[in-house]
Amino acid sequence: MGIVFEFPDYYLFPNGLWVTFQLSVLALAGSLVVGTVVALFRVSPVTPLRWVGGGFVEAFRNTPLLVQLFFFFFGLPLLGIRLSAEPLESNFRAAVIGLALYHAAYVAEIVRGGLLAVDKGQIEAARSLGLSYVGMIRYIQLPQAFRAVVPPLGNIAIALVKNTSLAATIGVSELLQGGELIESRTFRSVEAFGAVAILYLFLTIPMGLGVNWLERRMLVVR
Amino acid sequence: MRSIHRVIAIGLAAAFVAAACGGASTASPSPAPATATAKPAPSFEATSFMATIKSKGKIRVGTREDNVPFGLKNPSTGKLEGFDIDIARELAKGIFGDKANIDENIEFIPVVSATRIPTLQDNKADFVIATFTINDDRKKQIDFSDVYFRTGQRILVKKDNTTITKAEDMAGKTICAATGSTSVDNIKKIAPTAKILALDSYPPCLLALQQGSADAVSTDETILFGLAKQDPNTKLVGPYFSTEPYGIGIKQNANNDRAGFVTFMNAQLAAMIADGRWAKSYKQWISPVSFDEKKNPDGK
Repeated sequence: MGIVFEFPDYYLFPNGLWVTFQLSVLALAGSLVVGTVVALFRVSPVTPLRWVGGGFVEAFRNTPLLVQLFFFFFGLPLLGIRLSAEPLESNFRAAVIGLALYHAAYVAEIVRGGLLAVDKGQIEAARSLGLSYVGMIRYIQLPQAFRAVVPPLGNIAIALVKNTSLAATIGVSELLQGGELIESRTFRSVEAFGAVAILYLFLTIPMGLGVNWLERRMLVVR
Repeated sequence: MRSIHRVIAIGLAAAFVAAACGGASTASPSPAPATATAKPAPSFEATSFMATIKSKGKIRVGTREDNVPFGLKNPSTGKLEGFDIDIARELAKGIFGDKANIDENIEFIPVVSATRIPTLQDNKADFVIATFTINDDRKKQIDFSDVYFRTGQRILVKKDNTTITKAEDMAGKTICAATGSTSVDNIKKIAPTAKILALDSYPPCLLALQQGSADAVSTDETILFGLAKQDPNTKLVGPYFSTEPYGIGIKQNANNDRAGFVTFMNAQLAAMIADGRWAKSYKQWISPVSFDEKKNPDGK
């Protein structure tokens, strides 16, 4: 038989790749925003905010992503919450929300680490110059924190791209599901899943290179 | 989720086993049905495949062991039972004569979907009876008997659903089926505008139906029977919109090494339908899930 990369329904690959790309971009943007906010909560001087931030991180970091996706897709409608009137849209939204919140928990911990790593002298200098707490965070602490956490955030971004494959279990027609469909029609599993793996590399390798570039660019000391 | 499915599956299997035991105990007190044409042991032409089997003293039967209610291994007795198994035993009796301990003359070979054709082609089994849908691609590789069981694709909806009553009504609706199954292709063929929610297996599809993410679940009727049994708030609607005729698979009679076997099988199946043995097995295995009775594969 040999290995033949020739599929009758090859269009499922570019279609799946596009959905995976959309999932990755939306979930990554969501996780960076939510993660940063949660990190600020966790270092906030207001105690209840720290509790909220801590609770979020523990809840989303300590349960499996698959369980969270099942909750957002199967569970929310049982509680009367519909993400969309259109079921095939609601599973995509459930996947974006699940992926964003799960990875936001990791982003929050990384950003929090970055915030705490900023030299105390910087903070004291900012306050003595008359910057408000918000101004100090905005102009002094966050910019320096992000510079330090680019490499670990890159790891999270790449993990997120790979984790989008779990969306196949709630019926999102992304890359892995495209591969499954082609496998079931051709009985050529090596080729179908081989192609899927290579297409994931098309997303993750440029992403890794982008992170490296960003890291060099943001380096303060050259 | 998976483990929940497994628990449900084990529960269902146990229920089937319990039903099976009950059926057997009520049937045993009645005297053995003495058919008028009962012969001690049939004889065959020396050149026929049946004569070869008879002289060997054993027939090798490929069956599935995990396919309720067609073929499964009873966990308490270790014996195979089910609709397919009944038919296999009756076919063996057609060669070795009507005896109680017919299993002595049968060697059951376990198969799964993907190994059914190779098992025949490599001559590891004399015939395969395992919910084997007859289709043109397969006919190029093996021979089939006549249809001994007919099922087809139907639709499962919530009990209060009045908008979907037949296959064409699936147009524009969200229908759940297993990823990459022929069920998906059948839905697209009859209702091209139907939106397919493709999940890994059918228990998640039932969940999607229950909480409103899918308007219907559609696949082989036998699978839907199982789902409807789990959730009494669902019902099956519409006639078959695909046909899944099951046949008995036999190696092709290439160099006359299967002489007369298909003809013999077909005659045996016709006899089983005519004298009610087929209907009895249907009642024992299929009726508990289908809630109907049939006297032959085509219905009443």
